[in-house]
Amino acid sequence: MESSELKRSKDSPNSDESAGLSSFPDEVLERVLSLLKSHRDRSFVSLVCKDWYNAERWSRTHVFIGNCYSVSPEIVARRFPNIRSVTLKGKPRFSDFNLVPQNWGADIHAWLVVFAAKYPFLEELRLKRMAISDESLALLAVAFPNFKALSLLSCDGFSTNGLAAIATNCKNLTELDIQENGIDDKGGSWLGCFPESFTSLEVLNFANLTSDINFDALERLVGRCKSMRVLKLNRSISLEQLQRLLVNAPQLAELGTGSFSQELTFRQYKELECTLSNRKNMHTLSGLWEAKGIYLPALYPACTNLTFLNLSYAALQSSELAKLLAHCPRLKRLWVLDTVQDKGLEAIGLNCPLLEELRVFPDDPFGEEIVHGVTEAGFVAVSYGCPRLHYVLYFCQQMTNAAVATVVQNCPDFTHFRLCIMNPGQPDYLTNEPMDEAFGAVVKTCTKLQRLSVSGLLTDLTFEYIGRYAKNLETLSVAFAGSSDWGMQCVLGGCPKLRKLEIRDCPFGNAALLSGLEKYESMRSLWMSACKVTMNGCRLLAREMPRLNVEVMKEDGSDDSQADKVYVYRSIAGPRRDAPPSVLTL
Amino acid sequence: MCMELQLGLALPSDPLIIPIKMFDLNSCGYEPGEGLGSNTLSRPLLKLGPSDININNSSSSSPSRSGGSRKRGFDEVQRFDENRIFPKTLPLLLSTNQPNDEHDPNGLEDNSSSAIFKNDGEGLVGWPPVKTWRKKLLLQIPKGGAVNNNRVAAMAENGCRGRASNSTYVKVKMEGIAIARKIDLSVHHSFETLTSTLMGLFDISDENWKGFKLTYQDIEGDWLLAEDVPWRTFIRSSKCLKLIRSRG
Repeated sequence: MESSELKRSKDSPNSDESAGLSSFPDEVLERVLSLLKSHRDRSFVSLVCKDWYNAERWSRTHVFIGNCYSVSPEIVARRFPNIRSVTLKGKPRFSDFNLVPQNWGADIHAWLVVFAAKYPFLEELRLKRMAISDESLALLAVAFPNFKALSLLSCDGFSTNGLAAIATNCKNLTELDIQENGIDDKGGSWLGCFPESFTSLEVLNFANLTSDINFDALERLVGRCKSMRVLKLNRSISLEQLQRLLVNAPQLAELGTGSFSQELTFRQYKELECTLSNRKNMHTLSGLWEAKGIYLPALYPACTNLTFLNLSYAALQSSELAKLLAHCPRLKRLWVLDTVQDKGLEAIGLNCPLLEELRVFPDDPFGEEIVHGVTEAGFVAVSYGCPRLHYVLYFCQQMTNAAVATVVQNCPDFTHFRLCIMNPGQPDYLTNEPMDEAFGAVVKTCTKLQRLSVSGLLTDLTFEYIGRYAKNLETLSVAFAGSSDWGMQCVLGGCPKLRKLEIRDCPFGNAALLSGLEKYESMRSLWMSACKVTMNGCRLLAREMPRLNVEVMKEDGSDDSQADKVYVYRSIAGPRRDAPPSVLTL
Repeated sequence: MCMELQLGLALPSDPLIIPIKMFDLNSCGYEPGEGLGSNTLSRPLLKLGPSDININNSSSSSPSRSGGSRKRGFDEVQRFDENRIFPKTLPLLLSTNQPNDEHDPNGLEDNSSSAIFKNDGEGLVGWPPVKTWRKKLLLQIPKGGAVNNNRVAAMAENGCRGRASNSTYVKVKMEGIAIARKIDLSVHHSFETLTSTLMGLFDISDENWKGFKLTYQDIEGDWLLAEDVPWRTFIRSSKCLKLIRSRG
């Protein structure tokens, strides 16, 4: 609707085009454009003409930077003078799996220094895979008097001392969301640093912290922040403590419980059940660490309007899950551990017709005792019951081509299909064939597919299919797959919307790497590790494409000519100057 | 005209066209006159040597079909042996182990020369792709019932997550067979039933069974003979099993 609005104003009858556009008052144009929120729409708008470019840059308040090294903070500040909210992403995604060396970079500090000077009115900072130190947090806490929202996801480099600085100084804080980070947890006293006069917090997520929290301080904080709508506790919070917190927060929309296994008296259990009942505005539930089956019924009344249930820390059995799901008719997003097995997945298919997203995590991915987990049968069962499924992340021990074909036939609307068969290079266990046809079915049937992760035994045929059919694919993750350079060439030659390509342990070499020369400037980044690319190949790429940064990370003891890990990304900021010695910029 | 990058925003719909011809990597260099684009003429030739060319790959126009190209560069990704029986309900574990290596707790130590499967004591680095923080958080969840602290510690050291569930499946290997199997110990109540299951799994006849001994690895990592302990001890402490040929 917004783009049609724009079209009208562009096509408005004026004597001639140039006069028409320049006679449109800037203030009105800016006012109209300020209604645009999507950064893609804004990007298109800025390309129309110089006037629109300027109006857009003055009216923009939020900037999203998908790769912190693609641009410098100075360039951002120069182009956008009125930014109040920044989202930055740093390290390559494979850093989540220890594939990126420590001290690789993506430090927020240089950005904060520029922001402190140019955006003193900054309100929101959302970081993903960035390095942030306590010093940076302290700077953040004092340099921006209007600061409201801090969200850190998969970041590292800081400790709870940094959180204490935020709590102490940010008088207008509404959101503190510390998810899934590498934190040096020195204890829970930071929570006590919020002043008694502080009441503005609406979102508090410290589920990822491991140490005990100062509960009294937390209880008082929750009690006085009447607008709190998101509260995600860590494992140290017991059921009894949860009960006390909930009594003071009747309006919570998102709850992450603490440990769900404390021994309760009957009366305590009843109290909890009562407190949880009639929570009609609760739409998200998570936590449930060590959930004991016998206490789960206390949750049932709170589940009526749940749309997102995250059970990925609760090792439930299939029957426990089935009983719980019977009370969650409106579920759209569900995360579980594979302890629920195929029977649990069948229960999902039976109880959750509105389901759009399913993630099944492995309970014991590295263990020697191999548990049964989930198989292709569970996957198929869910697909029959949940036709609206469009996002799946599925870790399994076995899969078949036929099963995947059935799944996508039942659910043709997949936008995100991430299948991880946990044994590298494992074929269809029934037919012994490669899993090529499975992913062929995915890309042929799911025309809206944006993100794909492949696994199992795969030949170049898989990549031929992907290149030929996956016209909307933006992100592709490949591991232990392919037969030759041809596979990667198919993808690079085929997928017009490809933005991120990450590859590990595949037989793709220089020919494949260099076939993408024309492509990489239209992509955000390329990652290749443990492939067959050489230093010379990377040097050639760097030489031919000056607007790409080509970084190579060498492993200890590897052959000098091999490029063990390669990270290629476009940038207008030039090669970075903060790379550690293990990272070579070519 | 060089367009400023759109700061991670949507791109212009057609990618920027760069006037470079694809070069023939099979020759060890290229001549400036072959139309590479005027911006490259002044630079010295970059020669790609034989090591830069992947001689195993063929960028042919008729790519291999699924059945044809089994050839993979990784020796230790075993092909499944069609002659082996495997019930369809039990998933298999690919073992990268050399058959005679008994002192390999993880069963994943790579003795071959391929650099692809790296081992840092946890098997492959960063595989399966489960986020490190999730691994750490799951490791802290205490286990149910029968599992004791030793096991938790041992698993933690191995990088294995102590499970939140109480499963009884164990891995079973047979000497001489690369691929391991899994069985559920909880359905067995004596060595007799276990023995007959194993004989069926590995297709060992009564006579041949006499040539084997059943060993198991206990919680502390030691390998012991199953016949030396009572069933209860065995069932409580075995982490994985191995059938070895009895010698003499």
